[in-house]
Amino acid sequence: MNVPLITEATELAIAGVQISNLSKRFGDHLVLDDISMNVKPGSVTALIGPSGSGKSTLLRCVNLLETPDGGSITVGSQTIRAGDRVKDRELLTLRRQVGMVFQSFNLFPHFTVLRNVAFPQEKILGRSREEAEARARVLLERVGLADKADQHPGKCSGGQQQRIAIVRALALNPRVMLFDEPTSALDPEVGVEVLTVMRELADAGMTMIVVTHEMQFARDVSDHLVVMADGHIIEEGDPAEIMADPREERTRRFLNAVLER
Amino acid sequence: MGDALLIVLLGLPMTLLVTVLSFTIGVIGGIPLMLGLRSRTRWVRLTCRFAVDLIRGVPPIVWLFLLYFGVSFGAIRLDSLNAAVWGLGIISSAYLAEIYRGAFATLPSGQAEASAALGLGGTVTLTRILAPQALRTALPSIATYLLSLLKDSSIASTIGVADMVFNATMFARQNPATAGIVPFFIAAAVYLVISIPVAVTARRLDTRLRRTA
Repeated sequence: MNVPLITEATELAIAGVQISNLSKRFGDHLVLDDISMNVKPGSVTALIGPSGSGKSTLLRCVNLLETPDGGSITVGSQTIRAGDRVKDRELLTLRRQVGMVFQSFNLFPHFTVLRNVAFPQEKILGRSREEAEARARVLLERVGLADKADQHPGKCSGGQQQRIAIVRALALNPRVMLFDEPTSALDPEVGVEVLTVMRELADAGMTMIVVTHEMQFARDVSDHLVVMADGHIIEEGDPAEIMADPREERTRRFLNAVLER
Repeated sequence: MGDALLIVLLGLPMTLLVTVLSFTIGVIGGIPLMLGLRSRTRWVRLTCRFAVDLIRGVPPIVWLFLLYFGVSFGAIRLDSLNAAVWGLGIISSAYLAEIYRGAFATLPSGQAEASAALGLGGTVTLTRILAPQALRTALPSIATYLLSLLKDSSIASTIGVADMVFNATMFARQNPATAGIVPFFIAAAVYLVISIPVAVTARRLDTRLRRTA
C-alpha cells in the first residue's frame, strides 16, 4: 500500500462541490437549514457534529440519495437545483461522478469480492468482463486484498469489506468521494486499515467529504473542518485551529465529549 | 389393490401437469404483481393490493367453479384442464407476488442505496442486485407454496380433471363393495412420495445458498 500506486490506479479527474442554501426536511423536522459550503477540487473536508446534526443527510444530498427541498448542489460542472425535475440521465451522470462509502459497507453479498468491484465497471463504464476484472484485481492488490478476490464479502472482516467498498467506488473513476462514517462500525485497530487507504487517497489529490468521529483523521488529513449542529453549520475552518481553540461553546462541548471517549 | 394403484397412478401425470403449469404461471405472473405492489404510484399499488387480496380471499374451489362454469367467450367455454390451470395459476401469482414482495422487504435498504450511489440504473439494481438476494430469501417459502399447490391441484378433480384424486374417486364409486377408502390411501401415499423429495431438495438448496451468502 503506497501512494503512487493508488494514484496511477485511479485516473484522477477531480471536481469540486458547491452546496448553496441547501435545506431538507423530514416531515415537520428541518434537518438541514440553509447550508452553504464550498469544497475545492482536491481538498478533504471533514464533517463533524453530534448525531442528528444533519451531517449524514448533507452528505447524502450531494449524490441525491436524499432529495433536497431547497437550494442547489454543484458537482464539477453539473448543477442540480431543488424543486427541478431531475431526469434519470442527469441523476446517473451525477452519481457516476460521485463515489460513496457507507458506514455499513453495503457490499453485494451474492457476488464475490471480484464481482463486487468488476460488475459496476461493466455496467457503468461499459468495460468488458475481462477488462473490469483485471482492473478489479489490480485495485484489490493495492489495498492488500488480492487473496480475497474469489471469496464472498461475508467471509471478509469489516475492515476488509470497507476497503473493498472503497475500491468498488474508485474503480469507476469518481471525481468526488463521499464517506459516511466509514469506520464507525469497525473496531479501532481495524478502522486504521481503512483510514490508511483514505489517507492515501487524500494524498493522491482526491476530492473527499468525510463524515467522521475520527478526530485525529479530521485534524491530520482534512484541509477543512465543518462542525454541524441541529441542521446548521456552527463553525468551519482550519481543522487544527478549530480543535485547538473552538470559537463556539457547542463545538467545544462536542470536541470534549468525543475526545473523552 | 393392484387395480386401485394402477388407476390412481394413471392420474399422476395429470396431477403433475396441473401443478407444474399453474406453478409456472404463478412464478411468472407473480413478478408484475409484485412490481405493482412495490410501485411508487399509489393507484397502481392499490390496484395490485386489491387484486392480490381478492384472489387470495376466495377459496380456490370457488375460483375454479367460477372459471369453469361461469366464463365463456361466445360459444367457447374453458375446458376443465384450462379452467384448473389458469385458476390455480392466477391464485399462485397472487401468493407468489406476496412472497416475492416480502423477500424484497427484508433486504437491507443499504443494498439499493449502494447500487444507486454507484450509478447503476433501476432495472440493473432490481434484476442483478436485489432480485437474486430476494430469491434466496424467498426460496423456502416458494418451495412450501409449491408443496401446497401440489396438494391443492386435487381441487381440479371437482371440475372433472382426471388427476389422482379424480381417479381414486371414480374407482371407489365403481367398486363400492371392495374398494373402500383404499384408493385414497394410495393417493395419499403418492402425494407424500412426491412432496417429501421436493421438501428435502428445497431445504438442501436453502442451506447451500445460505452458506455462499
